[in-house]
Amino acid sequence: MKSLAGIALVEVRRFLRDRSNIFFVFIFPLLLILLLGSQFGANSGQARVGLAGDGGSGLAKALVQQLQADGLEVATAGEATVRDQLSRGRIDVGIFLADADAADFSAGRPARIEAVAASQSSAQAVLQEVRGSVQAVSTEQRQRKLLEGAGIGAAEADAVLEQASESVKRPTMELVDTNDVTQEFRGLGKFDLGAVQQLLLFVFLSSLTGAATLIKARRLGVIARVMAAPVASWQAVGGQALGRFGIAAVQGVYIMAGTALLFGVEWGNPVLAGVILAVFCAVSAAAAMVIGSVLDNDAAASGVGVGLGLVLAGLGGSMVPPEFFSGALQQVSLLTPHRWAYDAFAEVQRHGGTLTDILPQLGVLAAMAAALLVLGSFLLRRSLGRAL
Amino acid sequence: MTTGLQIQRAEVLGAEGLVKKYGNRTVVEDVSFQIRSGETYGLLGPNGAGKTTIISMVAGLIPADAGSIRIAGEVMAPSSIRARRHFGLVPQELAIYPDLTAKENLRFFGKLQGMGGQELKLRTAEVLELIGLADRAGEQTKKFSGGMKRRLNIGIGLLHRPTLLILDEPTVGVDPQSRNSILESVEVLATEGMAVLYTTHYMEEAERLCNRIAIIDVGRIQAEGTRNELVELTGGVDRIDLRGSGDVASASAALRLLPGVQKVDAGSSGIILTVHNGPGLLAPIVERAGSAGMALTAVEIVRPDLESVFLHLTGKALRD
Repeated sequence: MKSLAGIALVEVRRFLRDRSNIFFVFIFPLLLILLLGSQFGANSGQARVGLAGDGGSGLAKALVQQLQADGLEVATAGEATVRDQLSRGRIDVGIFLADADAADFSAGRPARIEAVAASQSSAQAVLQEVRGSVQAVSTEQRQRKLLEGAGIGAAEADAVLEQASESVKRPTMELVDTNDVTQEFRGLGKFDLGAVQQLLLFVFLSSLTGAATLIKARRLGVIARVMAAPVASWQAVGGQALGRFGIAAVQGVYIMAGTALLFGVEWGNPVLAGVILAVFCAVSAAAAMVIGSVLDNDAAASGVGVGLGLVLAGLGGSMVPPEFFSGALQQVSLLTPHRWAYDAFAEVQRHGGTLTDILPQLGVLAAMAAALLVLGSFLLRRSLGRAL
Repeated sequence: MTTGLQIQRAEVLGAEGLVKKYGNRTVVEDVSFQIRSGETYGLLGPNGAGKTTIISMVAGLIPADAGSIRIAGEVMAPSSIRARRHFGLVPQELAIYPDLTAKENLRFFGKLQGMGGQELKLRTAEVLELIGLADRAGEQTKKFSGGMKRRLNIGIGLLHRPTLLILDEPTVGVDPQSRNSILESVEVLATEGMAVLYTTHYMEEAERLCNRIAIIDVGRIQAEGTRNELVELTGGVDRIDLRGSGDVASASAALRLLPGVQKVDAGSSGIILTVHNGPGLLAPIVERAGSAGMALTAVEIVRPDLESVFLHLTGKALRD
């Protein structure tokens, strides 16, 4: 076992020592996750509202307080900024308060509030929530005026209203989107989806392109020399496999930890997420063994690795979420390890899934890893004969 | 003393009736040889003769289709671990990790040989000193020259003090200085009692290093023996080249009558003689040629070498 671990450690050390890996393996994935999350990331399922107008007015203060109490994210800004954010889909609803209307509201006169919903489908639901909040503010204002009209002082009226709101809880309203895809992504953070996708894409891609080092080692005669040492052949081949697994795991753990710390990505239960990553790394390592054994040219292996890595990632939902796939493409995507790992991560990350829930995905991934490992070991031994 | 001598000269490697086929093509056919401790045994043959295939079978990298191999009394097979402890392999390729340092390479392969701790540390330093890389031990080997890589390649094979060192064309692509250094190292190892199996297609290396030589061609051992035994196979004749001017025809006729001269070929600028014992006949040849009216400008004795043996046995030059 010492030999097996020794071979694996050397492979990982060589990987970490290769400076060309620093950017593409460690920096580029995080940059991509940041870019994709910033531009296309989900909105955490939290409704985002922009409020333009005099933030110091009574109406603005009451609205912000009520919207936040109702679970909406509110940001105040100038009118142009709010309209820009609406057009870019960065907020769901924009509220525009004119000074005159704010004054009318404070005076108990009818006031007009302009609300504009963004074009995304979720905006209509948020607009309903905004209406509810405005209604609550309006009701409270009417009650306050009524109490003041009955001769109760402003401070006392506020106390009475607070007491009333504590004794009579408002019913909560849950808006459910009829769109399955929207529901599926509800609750996800801005970077959560992209982090899973890029994790799977890069771990697999790096493993496949890393197969070139296996070819180089074979061509250099290093593997033959290892096989000539007093080491069982299963240990020599196993060491290579474990080395490739280690390389994939190093990158995978780095991406998971990096995105959690830098972007606040929620990976769900860390143990289960780690198990999914481990099994996916095993598939990646075994696939790299196959590529590194079938091909004799390291440049060709890098090319095939990139091509195959990107195609499988695309089909497996690491570029466009598979929830958007057609029925036929959904079936095709199940042939890729990415899809099974994606589904397992989705279960853990979005639905709080347990080990039992992800056992089918883990089982398929383990079977893929085992099949590829057996094939890769056989091909590696055969390729050694070719190299001699 | 006698017992000690017997142990020292014990058989280290015994190969019997080795056969290797790829499909219908037989690349090694009925190859047998033995090597004793302290002996350097050469496999001499052109590229493609089957030398590396024989070495791969000896090192257990590929199975033989027939025959057997014993190393230090242990049967060698691709699954045999114990036999592998007794030899060090120096492949023809530079089988080192370019992105590891010389020291890291040695330590990695040392660990695979079961070494560790202080033993590995000391032996690594010793080998680095031996191969002249102690001052470059911490550098990645991709920065090394070809000769330095070759020396490290050999150092790895020596690290665990094997009973048998297998060297497969260790001087290919090496500058003359490094080549000489490698050959000197092999000579030292043999004097220290290590058995060496050395493949080469350089006749001079085989002549310099090997106690016994097997001449290999098309997967078969064509002849085996010491350098002198092999040369005897050619009939032991020398060639004497006489260059000069004057009466070459008369000189040719006079030399034909000299005892020991087998053949005389006269040309416009000289005479080529095939003789037994060239050095012994040189003086009477020079005297008789001069007496016959030939003014000699150059005389050269060409003694038979392994190139001649290979040509004699196979009908083709070693470098073909």
